[in-house]
Amino acid sequence: MRAQVESTAQGGSANGDARQPRLDKLNAEAPRYGKVTHLGTLPFGPALKIERFTLNNGLSVLLVEDHAAPVVAYHVWFRVGSRHERQGKTGLAHLFEHLMFNEVEGLPAGEFDRKMEEAGAESNASTWLDWTQYNEAIPKDQLSLVIELEALRMSRLVLREPQVASEKEVVANERRYRVDDDVEGAVNELLWKTAFQTHAYHWPTIGWMSDIEGFTVDDCVDFYRTYYSPNNATVVVVGDVSEAQLLRELSAAYGEIPPAELPLEDVRPEPPQVDERRVEVTQPTTTQKLVVGYKSPGIGDFDHPALSLLSEVLFGGRASRVYKRLVRDLELCSEVRAFLGPFRDPGLFEIFASARGEHTAEEILKVIDEEMAKVREAPPNADEIDRARARLELGLVAGLETADGKASTIGFYETVLGDPSASFTRLEGMARINQSDLLRAARRYLVESGRSLVLVRPQLATEEEAA
Amino acid sequence: VSARAPEADRRAPLGVITEYSPELPLVNLSLSLRVGSELDPPGKEGLSEVLMRLMRRNAGGRDADDNDRIVDRLGGSLGADVAPSTMGFHASVIARSYQEFVKLLCDTLGEPRFQADEFERLKREIHGELIESLDNDRSLGRRWFRKRLFAGHPYGRPVSGTPESLERLELADALELYQHALVRENLICAFAGEVSPDRAEASAQALRDTLRQGQRSETTSESPRTPDGRRLVIVDKPDRTQTQLLIGCLGTHPKDLDHTALHVANTIFGGTFTARLTQEVRAKRGWSYGAYSSLPFDRCRHAFSMWTHPKADDAGPCLKLELDMLEQWVNQGVTQEELAWAKRYLVRSHAFALDTAAKRVSLKLDAELYQLPPGYYQEYESRVQAVTLDQANDAVRSRISADNLLVTIVGTASDIQGPVEAAIDRLSGSEVVPFDDLS
Repeated sequence: MRAQVESTAQGGSANGDARQPRLDKLNAEAPRYGKVTHLGTLPFGPALKIERFTLNNGLSVLLVEDHAAPVVAYHVWFRVGSRHERQGKTGLAHLFEHLMFNEVEGLPAGEFDRKMEEAGAESNASTWLDWTQYNEAIPKDQLSLVIELEALRMSRLVLREPQVASEKEVVANERRYRVDDDVEGAVNELLWKTAFQTHAYHWPTIGWMSDIEGFTVDDCVDFYRTYYSPNNATVVVVGDVSEAQLLRELSAAYGEIPPAELPLEDVRPEPPQVDERRVEVTQPTTTQKLVVGYKSPGIGDFDHPALSLLSEVLFGGRASRVYKRLVRDLELCSEVRAFLGPFRDPGLFEIFASARGEHTAEEILKVIDEEMAKVREAPPNADEIDRARARLELGLVAGLETADGKASTIGFYETVLGDPSASFTRLEGMARINQSDLLRAARRYLVESGRSLVLVRPQLATEEEAA
Repeated sequence: VSARAPEADRRAPLGVITEYSPELPLVNLSLSLRVGSELDPPGKEGLSEVLMRLMRRNAGGRDADDNDRIVDRLGGSLGADVAPSTMGFHASVIARSYQEFVKLLCDTLGEPRFQADEFERLKREIHGELIESLDNDRSLGRRWFRKRLFAGHPYGRPVSGTPESLERLELADALELYQHALVRENLICAFAGEVSPDRAEASAQALRDTLRQGQRSETTSESPRTPDGRRLVIVDKPDRTQTQLLIGCLGTHPKDLDHTALHVANTIFGGTFTARLTQEVRAKRGWSYGAYSSLPFDRCRHAFSMWTHPKADDAGPCLKLELDMLEQWVNQGVTQEELAWAKRYLVRSHAFALDTAAKRVSLKLDAELYQLPPGYYQEYESRVQAVTLDQANDAVRSRISADNLLVTIVGTASDIQGPVEAAIDRLSGSEVVPFDDLS
């Protein structure tokens, strides 16, 4: 459990002065696992702060009081994702996310959502490689209901055959939608399968279809007992709330849930890639595509922010180097974009390019190779770096407009890095990144021996060819 | 519980909507015109989109690369939007760069350069994007649904054009549209974020002054025609394991007396995760990951549609179920219990339409652009609360038709045509169109 104490709340704050006596009183009457400890205060941008608490069952609580609107974002982040699965049981974390909206003790299937919606909640969830998160945005006077329901499904979920069977069908249909009948989804899956041969990032979060079809109720029950415990979760609350009331209700709702013994994580590091891997496939599409994945650092690595800046210089917006050449100047592509994985372990810096007309994946690759060679030879100039920083700054700020956006940002960085305010510290860190950092990152990661390629040939004639 | 928006400072003659919000160092801006792609001459679909994107690129007489670099350097984003009834630019910028960004917007509106080589390059780019859109089955389904449901109406014409219409566009067409549409009378500016109302108004004035005076453009007011019978369009695409299924008819108009009642009834039918459609199609049978009905509005009557994406083997049964549910909804209506629940949901969740300055300003902008009745958003909660069971059920009966509707399905015709046609009682017409027909 993370127990590091950040900058402690100082005197002068009304909350800070009154907090300890209030916590003492709360803890005197709290249920067995409902005793609350304040661990520290962190800045969250120039105007807000994060208060960090823990219950004595290990549940982490992060609170940002933000009274800009009479709403609250309530997120629960579990430190379990598809990386915690094993071969033959892939997709279980994601299937389980679906099942969490089903039956809980005292509430038949469908009632959980019905109560949430009746409260005016916007409710959803998502699963990825490193985590699973559940989110609600609610009017402020409905917070008690959401706390009660979230605590209930953390400990009292009911798993039965009909719901599991029906939800497997839903997930199979989601897979058809996102992967099997989607060119980019299918190719992306193939890229990761090719790039990772040992690490659990090899398989997709949604799982292989045969695994989805094979899950049993017992698989789901085992997964729930193993990973859905308070000491594997963080509750993030942002919005128009009172700290005292929130802690009282959290203590009461989660205070009877015991911690679980979490299993040792059995993820094997991916061995260094020493040769380029290349796969060629046909897909029902009208134009050629190219997908490239360069092995990239984990999000906590010193080089990750540098590679983020390089990604912007090369692919961020119409003025970026590669976009400008491929789409605008040479007109080889209708679309080019890149994405640097924000994952705990080393992942991929992915590039997706779709050819225009009769142009080929090889023509696109030649240009990408030329541009990668340039950034390995000499760093981007100061103007390019400034523009890249400004784009990243806008992206961060624009993502924080709603309480929900703030809670997502906090929950993500807490779960992946253990630092809920890392979005701002990363941005500040980017101001210190210099040309040498970018040159080093380019030479270390944007190399042919560390990449995998998928070249997509169209299986369909274009309308022009047909004509 | 409701979130009440502070009153925006709005002065009609200037066409400006503002709300100051100091929470973040960010300003969101919209420069919107009261007219959209409905102005494209027949056979020249895509003209509005080409014009707006061209203006963004060649603002101030600079070339596109320079303008793209300026946007990035300022920490901004600037996009062009085109829809049948409105078009314009939406932008965000880090507050410290606000003033310089407004200068760029003034250049975008008032000093675009109509350069032939950029114009031709843009046409080629949009053509490439049209071809690219063939990969997206959901967008293919929507395209054919709009095309057939709104046949003969501006809403049925493709905003981005077709390969043929793009070919016909000439630079003079763009210039002519610019002179006709980009006039002060058509412009509404909206600002939200860390910019004071006085400063925003001064910016709006500067933006407005870049345009010449003219006449507010005439817009279409006629409703699209109601479909005749039950018609089926199969968009044939090879190797589909799944389908994209849209079922619909004409929907609502904001000035209908039963507009809010229909909105509430649709919430019960397919507007939320626990609505009838999601429960029957997804929760009970697992047939589709998404299952919703929607009821958007525009300046003319728009569509009601149901969306699901069952696997190919389930397409026939899923379609039949949805048609049965539609008939039941139209004939038997909703219950008092469902109505009470939907009203609580809509009133409470309205807080999330109003929880940021940008959203509040956006609603006010919509009210202006779509000429919504007075108090459309301000009185939303009381209008929802006032809907009675009879009003909800009458609205469904009079506006939604289970007899005159359009079914559009993207899938592999050889696999699905038989089961899908068999699922539609009283089918009055069926056609199969190739997925790569972009005409």
